[in-house]
Amino acid sequence: MEKRGTVLVENVIFIILNLLFLSILVLFLVKQGSGAIVLEQAYSKQISILIDSAKPPMEIQLDMEKGMKVAKSRRVDFGSAVKINGNQVTVKLGDGTGYTYSFFNDVSVTSSAIKDEKGEYTGMYDFRIKSKAGVR
Amino acid sequence: MRNKKGTDKILAIYWFVVLTIVAGGIFAMVYVFYGNPYDVRGVESEVLAERIADCISRQGTINSDFFAGGDFNQDIKNTFSERCNFNFNVEEGYRETMQYFYRVEIYSIDNLATPVFNFYDGNINWESECYIKKDNNKEYARLAKCTEKRFYAVGEGNKQYLIKILSVIGKSEKNVKQ
Repeated sequence: MEKRGTVLVENVIFIILNLLFLSILVLFLVKQGSGAIVLEQAYSKQISILIDSAKPPMEIQLDMEKGMKVAKSRRVDFGSAVKINGNQVTVKLGDGTGYTYSFFNDVSVTSSAIKDEKGEYTGMYDFRIKSKAGVR
Repeated sequence: MRNKKGTDKILAIYWFVVLTIVAGGIFAMVYVFYGNPYDVRGVESEVLAERIADCISRQGTINSDFFAGGDFNQDIKNTFSERCNFNFNVEEGYRETMQYFYRVEIYSIDNLATPVFNFYDGNINWESECYIKKDNNKEYARLAKCTEKRFYAVGEGNKQYLIKILSVIGKSEKNVKQ
């Protein structure tokens, strides 16, 4: 009887260790895919291509919910996560310097995070594309 | 019983060695996958070619600005990028080299060997990288990404033209692992 009990305990420990191992692996994979550095790069390139394809006057809304969650977890204001300076998009979701990518469309772009009725961020970002004054 | 215990222990160690190898493999694959930047140059060069085509012709008719005094307007060569709202400035990290290039060639339908009008803008050094790819039939990651586009349009007096556009994006520093 005693022997049987030992075998069961060993098996349970073995299964728990396996589950722990798999959980760490899945956590690692999920964290890698939704890290601030990866998302900053993805969003800045995505926004650059959207602006390149846009024709003024145009308004584009981009779903950045994943970015909002990352910014919140790192205590970064989501409202200032995207900055457009000249023809460069900078996305900053963490403590680092963010990721900058350029676009070739010479237009004036303003960006703002959309809030709901309660004044909370919805995870959507709004981009308004206008012609630059004096440019055809 | 002793043999059984020994076999169990060996099996357990073997099992954890296998798990470590699998984990190591997965970590390595993830590191390689996320360590490489997203390469968006192909999409960028396609968008650039589309934008150039839109600036040249609308609904199959070449923009009237392209013609002056019964011939092609030579001013277009210097002013096309401005007319088309292109800004080829890039962010830091490209060793102060222009990362864009485009060439437009307009052929008369009667003679497809020599263009009747052509112009380009940007860093002309990128152009040769498009032909390296073609010659070797191999895509080298660090070379510039090119898009070729061709279409027909009518100009003044309903004369037909073939328009060829080549757009090139460098930016390998931010799109390919160095």
